[in-house]
Amino acid sequence: MATGLSAIFLHNRPALMRFLRARGAGDESEDLLQDMWMKLEEKDLGPIADPLPYLYRMANNLMLDRYRSAIRRERREQDWAEGAGGVMADPSEDIAIDERLILSERLEEARAALRSLGPRVELVFRRFRIEGVGQRLIAEELGVSLTTVEKDLQKAYRAMIALKQKMDTE
Amino acid sequence: MNGAGAMMNEEALGWVIRTRDPEFADWEAFTAWLEADPARAPVYDALMAADAELAEIVPAEPVTIATPANDAGSRGWRPARWLAGGAVAAALVGAVSVGLLNRPDIYTVTTRPGETRSIALDDGTHVELNGGTTMRFDRHDARFAALDSGEAAFTVRHDAANPFRVTVGDAMLEDAGTVFNIVHTGGATRIGVSEGKVIYNPKAEAIPLPAGRGLSDDESGLRVMDIATDAVASWREGRLTYANAPVTQISADIARSLGVRLSATPGASAMRFTGTIRLDRDTVRFFGQAAPLMGLSAVRQGDGWLLKEGDGPPR
Repeated sequence: MATGLSAIFLHNRPALMRFLRARGAGDESEDLLQDMWMKLEEKDLGPIADPLPYLYRMANNLMLDRYRSAIRRERREQDWAEGAGGVMADPSEDIAIDERLILSERLEEARAALRSLGPRVELVFRRFRIEGVGQRLIAEELGVSLTTVEKDLQKAYRAMIALKQKMDTE
Repeated sequence: MNGAGAMMNEEALGWVIRTRDPEFADWEAFTAWLEADPARAPVYDALMAADAELAEIVPAEPVTIATPANDAGSRGWRPARWLAGGAVAAALVGAVSVGLLNRPDIYTVTTRPGETRSIALDDGTHVELNGGTTMRFDRHDARFAALDSGEAAFTVRHDAANPFRVTVGDAMLEDAGTVFNIVHTGGATRIGVSEGKVIYNPKAEAIPLPAGRGLSDDESGLRVMDIATDAVASWREGRLTYANAPVTQISADIARSLGVRLSATPGASAMRFTGTIRLDRDTVRFFGQAAPLMGLSAVRQGDGWLLKEGDGPPR
């Protein structure tokens, strides 16, 4: 029985299909929509404030999951090809000391990088990325314009992603 | 990377930020951007994956927005500046951040060493933070506070039906109409009560601490002692008062109160001191007076100071 979210899903099916194709799902778009439909039907989600953005976000998350598992598979195969895949590490095992040292060095480096961008940029980035607060609210809290918050976030993101990429190639 | 690639990366990053916003709604515009070039979706995916990994290197922690601290000039001690209005004002002015991811009502207030700050909670309770202190409060519960590290003095408006509670490490304090001070550094906690009464760990040891009593909890265990009530939270008046206190503790208090880096030689660390030290933001003048008082001498070391045994009158 199509009620609420399901009804909105059916009504917007073509738009969601278009989105999934644009997102690169190709021939799998139909299947992904079917997955979404099943999920909506089996879960009683109750009333949702903005149903259409919710559905888009759900579709976007499906694509992100797909990308992530593809990357993981790629890395596993690569490890296997390099002969490192013989023994699976116990995930519950404590991180080795030197790894922990590297991790704490990286945390320190990231903290310094973020700090060097200035206190407002740092605060905006943490509020947004770590605490999940929206840009409009952050702008209100700080008494600055939305554009300022957007620019701060771009700046912080550029720096932090560049730092992460540099760390990964080390 | 070539110019067009960099441009796309920049645009893709813009979409990463936009779609990550909990209020984002313009998915049609995002669809249109993706459709314009099939190469855009993979770039967006890669940046979203990079974004997901940022959590590994940027853990949640409080952020300080600089507010002008008391000048480290030559004019001696100035009391804490009072910030009115409680939670909202603190969120706008101060060093505030949400401490727990799933509790947007919990916020953190942090002072840098040498900086003091006062928080007025909605119930009429005042909390004064000494330097180098991190505390958490609850926007929706003015009867809650947590001292994560540092030192704070509490002037609590008593309400027997709804007692004020402070979490300190693993311990909890419950007020019974009170002015009290807590220091929490490393694993050690020191509590002094100058008015009324607090209960230490009401659900476990339930130790009552009336005015004039203090408690310390460190690696040597839990101890209760008599203290002078005017020595409690005397840092607010620019004084530090001690009875047979170890120099290690005193130097930590000085460092926190004045915002100086301070270390002590092993010989100096082993000493104890009884008396009152006047705080002074002119560090040269301060150490010139305070060190001899403790039977020590102070020398500049790098960007900080070193306390060592020596030159002063022995005591």
